[in-house]
Amino acid sequence: MKVAAAAMFLGLAGTPALAHRLDEYLQGTLLSIEKDRVQAQMTLTPGVAVFPLLLAEFDTDGNGFISETEKRAYAERVLRDLRLGIDGVRLMPRLLSVQFPAVEEMKEGRGEIRIEFGADLPGGGRERRIALENHHENRIAAYQVNCLVPRDRNIRVLAQHRNYDQSNYELDYVQSEIAQPTAWKAWWSGDLGLLSAMALFLITRFTVAWRGNHAR
Amino acid sequence: MHHSALKTVVMVGMAALCMARGAETAQTSTSRTVRAANAFLVTLDQKQRQSVAFAFDDEKQRVRWSNLPVKMVPRAGLSMGELNAAQRSAALALVASTLSRRGFEKVEQIVEADETLKTREGNNPMFGKDLFFISILGTPSEKDPWMLQFGGHHLALNVTIAGERGVLTPSLIGAQPALYTVNGKTVRPLGGESDKAIALLNSLDENQKKQAILSFKLADLVLGPGQDGKTIQPEGLKASSMNEHQRAMLLDLMSEWANIVHESSSVARLADLKADIHETWFAWSGPTTVAAGSNITAYYRIQGPRVVIEYAPQKLGGDPAMHLHTMYRDPTNDYGRKGAAK
Repeated sequence: MKVAAAAMFLGLAGTPALAHRLDEYLQGTLLSIEKDRVQAQMTLTPGVAVFPLLLAEFDTDGNGFISETEKRAYAERVLRDLRLGIDGVRLMPRLLSVQFPAVEEMKEGRGEIRIEFGADLPGGGRERRIALENHHENRIAAYQVNCLVPRDRNIRVLAQHRNYDQSNYELDYVQSEIAQPTAWKAWWSGDLGLLSAMALFLITRFTVAWRGNHAR
Repeated sequence: MHHSALKTVVMVGMAALCMARGAETAQTSTSRTVRAANAFLVTLDQKQRQSVAFAFDDEKQRVRWSNLPVKMVPRAGLSMGELNAAQRSAALALVASTLSRRGFEKVEQIVEADETLKTREGNNPMFGKDLFFISILGTPSEKDPWMLQFGGHHLALNVTIAGERGVLTPSLIGAQPALYTVNGKTVRPLGGESDKAIALLNSLDENQKKQAILSFKLADLVLGPGQDGKTIQPEGLKASSMNEHQRAMLLDLMSEWANIVHESSSVARLADLKADIHETWFAWSGPTTVAAGSNITAYYRIQGPRVVIEYAPQKLGGDPAMHLHTMYRDPTNDYGRKGAAK
């Protein structure tokens, strides 16, 4: 109701509502998957009509200035509204960074809040599923979630599933076996490698001795 | 001489002539652009020259582009409003020299749309032809890389020229209103982008549509301004599951962006896109019908190894068919970094 009223007020006031986001809070998330870690960048863009309501969430002491403490507190609140998990196990996202634009920029609908968070992934099987639910400001939110193409070639995305408003997102991926060169290296550095080296040494010694005896 | 041998000689001769002509055209294109750049620069006074020129490696200026009006996201360089008639004409001649005829016409129509918006909004000073900026990064050269930027509300052209080749990615091509009338003639700056997309969608069978049409809504561009250097996981229908005719339609749709740049560069660009066509994806989200003569109101994305195109109608300010954002990227060569590194 408040949001609709604010939008109507701004429309009547002849602000440049035509040019930018109006009555939505766009929340775009890009997930990045690594072998033992998931990281995400959220870009949150308040529409001009909903900004007055959101400002109260950002500037909790109402002094017209969003302090570093308030920025961090808001980002932590956003993370609490997320539910991140892998293979049915809940993960606790850790805040990595938060950046706020100037209040004036957000007031005009052009400011983007950037939040980065990450979580360590517990060991698991070859096929894995990461799930992300976002309920932050769901009355006014426009959610978008995507996965970046993994840098690690051993990780291959199988499918992405979302509900209609993208508040629920699931990512299925497969993590292939450890690459051959690494396995070879591990084999040599292990006990088996030591035993093999000793065996090779003994065979060489035996061959040399045997050839020596026959040469005489 | 035997008839067939004569025919072969003539064909080889003609092919050689064509190749020579092609090389000449490419060379002429870059040299013409450099001449146009220098012709523009000599019309400027010292202060204006300082305002328009940036170092080629000025990363801050390189990424200073947006879909938003310049009063909201200030651009640097020189605005058309700051130039006199001769300077403005020289600036637009420079922009035109980097683009195809249709590409420049599209740019003119986008600028005209913003002027129309200004008029409709009671002469709103936030919009209009005067608020489009030009800037040059580096020194115009036929050999060394340099860059031309031209943009404002709903337009961000980033043309990197490296030798014979011009690279247009990343560029934001939008329009508002995306349908208007000038002297009784209806103009749709992004009409081809809409019509060809719905034609491609309608050519798909039910099984293909199931893959192409996403089950969720998309409110905006995913890889818009500020999202350089990112590659998202492709979705939708892979073109390897299309028939030849549908793949040709997809390539034709991509040509709406690829053909904006001058022909001397678009031929090679289209060849790249054609080579990658089997690895290219088409995804659609939103209404699958369109009112006659109007623009689609659905989001779509085309993604291949060397291209990302997004078409995102905006519901801001009313009818989404009248307010369009599109994004054109090459994840392997945005800002012509490959050519510039050589």
